[in-house]
Amino acid sequence: MFEDRGFQRVVATLGWTAMAVLVFPVILTIVVSFSGSQFIEFPPKSFSMDWYANIAKINKIGEATLLSLLVASLTGIFTVAMAIPAALAIARHAFPAKAMIVAFLLSPVAVPMIAIGIAILQFFVWTGLPFNWITLLVGHVVLTSAYPVRTIVASLTLSNPSLEEAAASLGASRWTVFRTVTLPQLTPGLISGFLFAFLISFDNYPISIFLVRSGVTTMPIEVFNYISQQLDPTPAAFSTIYIVIVSAIIVLVERRFGVISLSVRG
Amino acid sequence: MTDAGAASGVTLPVRRRSGGRSRRWLLIACMLGPLLGFMVVFYAVPFAYLAQESFQSWDGEDEPKAEPTFDYYKKTFQSSRTSRALTRTFRISLVSTLIALVICYPVALLLIRAGPRLRSGMLLVIFISLAASLIVRNYGWLVVLADQGPLNALLVGLGFTSRGLRMVYSEGATIVALVHYVMPFMILPIYGALLRIPDSYSEASISLGAGPWTTLRKVVFPLSMPGVFGGTILSFAICMSAFVTPLMLGSPATAMMSQVAAEQLLVQQNFPWGSAIVTILTLATFAVVFAYGWVIRRVMKADV
Repeated sequence: MFEDRGFQRVVATLGWTAMAVLVFPVILTIVVSFSGSQFIEFPPKSFSMDWYANIAKINKIGEATLLSLLVASLTGIFTVAMAIPAALAIARHAFPAKAMIVAFLLSPVAVPMIAIGIAILQFFVWTGLPFNWITLLVGHVVLTSAYPVRTIVASLTLSNPSLEEAAASLGASRWTVFRTVTLPQLTPGLISGFLFAFLISFDNYPISIFLVRSGVTTMPIEVFNYISQQLDPTPAAFSTIYIVIVSAIIVLVERRFGVISLSVRG
Repeated sequence: MTDAGAASGVTLPVRRRSGGRSRRWLLIACMLGPLLGFMVVFYAVPFAYLAQESFQSWDGEDEPKAEPTFDYYKKTFQSSRTSRALTRTFRISLVSTLIALVICYPVALLLIRAGPRLRSGMLLVIFISLAASLIVRNYGWLVVLADQGPLNALLVGLGFTSRGLRMVYSEGATIVALVHYVMPFMILPIYGALLRIPDSYSEASISLGAGPWTTLRKVVFPLSMPGVFGGTILSFAICMSAFVTPLMLGSPATAMMSQVAAEQLLVQQNFPWGSAIVTILTLATFAVVFAYGWVIRRVMKADV
C-alpha cells in the first residue's frame, strides 16, 4: 500500500511530525542549558556554561543522586533475582491459578503509582516498621518487579526448551542445565528487565514522595523542588547530563544485547 | 540419570521426572515463592489495609471511630473539587490517549516501512525518550510552552498574536505533556503487532483492487488490534494515574485525581479520605480497562 504516492506522503508527514514532537523538548532542553539568560528563552541570545556549575546549588543534589543510584541498583538486582525463578516457573511449568497469579504479579503496572506509595506508607505506619531508605527500596521493588518478569518470560518463550531437555538427558544436573543452557538464553530479558527496573526506580517521584522521611531524599524529589522554586535553566543543564548518560547506556546495551527488539516482541 | 525412558532404551529426550508430584509442586513453590511472597506482604496486604482504611471515619482526632462507613466515598462524589477532578481525569486521559493513537499509528507504519538502519535509529530515539526522566521531559515542555519560549516566538513571528499566549499551567499543557509521555508506550506495541502481519495480506488486498486507505482500514488496522489495544490500555492507565505531569504543567484549578488524593494525605493528613480517593481511582481505571477489553472482544470481535 506504500506504492501509492498520496498515501505514502500522508503517512510520512504525520509520522515525521510525531517523531519531531517526540525529540523537540529534548533538543530544546539541551539548547537552553547553554543559554546565558537568567530565564528560559529561545532562541538564546548569549552562550554560557554557568548552569552546569550551578547544578551543585540544587539542594543536596550529590547525596540525593547517590541514594537514588543505590536504591535503583538494588531495586534492579532484587527484582531480577526474584523474577528469574518466578519467570522460569511461569514459562516452563503449569500450576493451579496460574493466570490469576500472573495477572497479580503484572498488575502494579496498571495501578496508580501514588496508590502504591500511599498503601506502603500506611502499611509501614500500621506495622510500626521504621522509615529509612529500605522503605524506599521496598516501594520501588513493588513498582518495578513486573517489568523483569515480563521481559524474562518473553526471553524464555522465544528460547527453545528442548535444548534444556537435551542437556538434562545427556546427564547434566539441574543446576548445570540452568547455568550453561537456560541462563545464556534469558540474558537479553534479564538485562532489559534490570534496565527497566533501574530507570523506573531512578526516576520515580510519586512513590518516593510518600516514603521519604527525616532527611532521606532522592534525585527526582530535589530536582522537582528546584524546578518549582526557580525558573533559571539549571534543571536544563542537569537534564542534558541525564539524557547524555542514559542515551549512552541504551546505545551500549542495545549493541550488546539487542534489548529493543526484545521489548517490541515481549 | 535415573530416567526410566533412557533406561529402557528410548533415545528421545524425555522430560525428566526426578521426583513425584509433590516434589514438583515444591520446586514450583520455591521458584515462585520469593517474588509472590514479597508481593503479597508488601503489595496485596497494604492494598487490603488501604481499602479498609477508606471505610473509617475521621474527625480530625488521632483515633478513628470503629464503625465502618461509606462517608468518604459519598464525600468524594459530592465535593465539587474531587468530583470535578474525577471527570477531569477521565477527560484528560481519554483525549490524551486518542491523540497519542492518532499520531503514533503513522510512526509505527513508518517503522515497518523503514530500512534497517533508519528503523534502528528511530527505535533508539523512541527508547531514549522512554528512558529520559519524566521530570526532565516535563521540564522540556515548560521550556517549549513558556511565555518567552519558542512556540510563542513562532506564533508572534507568524503574526497569529501580538504578544505571547499563556500556555503553561493549564489543562492543555498537561495533555500535551501526557501525550508526549505515552507516545513510546503507544508506538512500540503497535509496531510489534504490525511486524506480525505478513506483507502478502496488504499486497493481496491491493492487487484485488482495494485502495491504500481501504487496505489500511479493512486489513491492516483490524489485524493490528492487539497492539492498538495494548498501547491504548497502557496509555490510558498511565494518564489516569498521572501525578507529576499535572503537578508541573497544570495548576491547582486543573488538578487530577492523584493530586487531590495527595492533598488529603500529605497536606490535610486525612488518611481515610485520601484512601477512598485512590481506591476510587484504582477501581475506575480497572473498570475502564475491563469494559474496554470486553467491548473490543465481544462487540468488535477482535482477538486481543
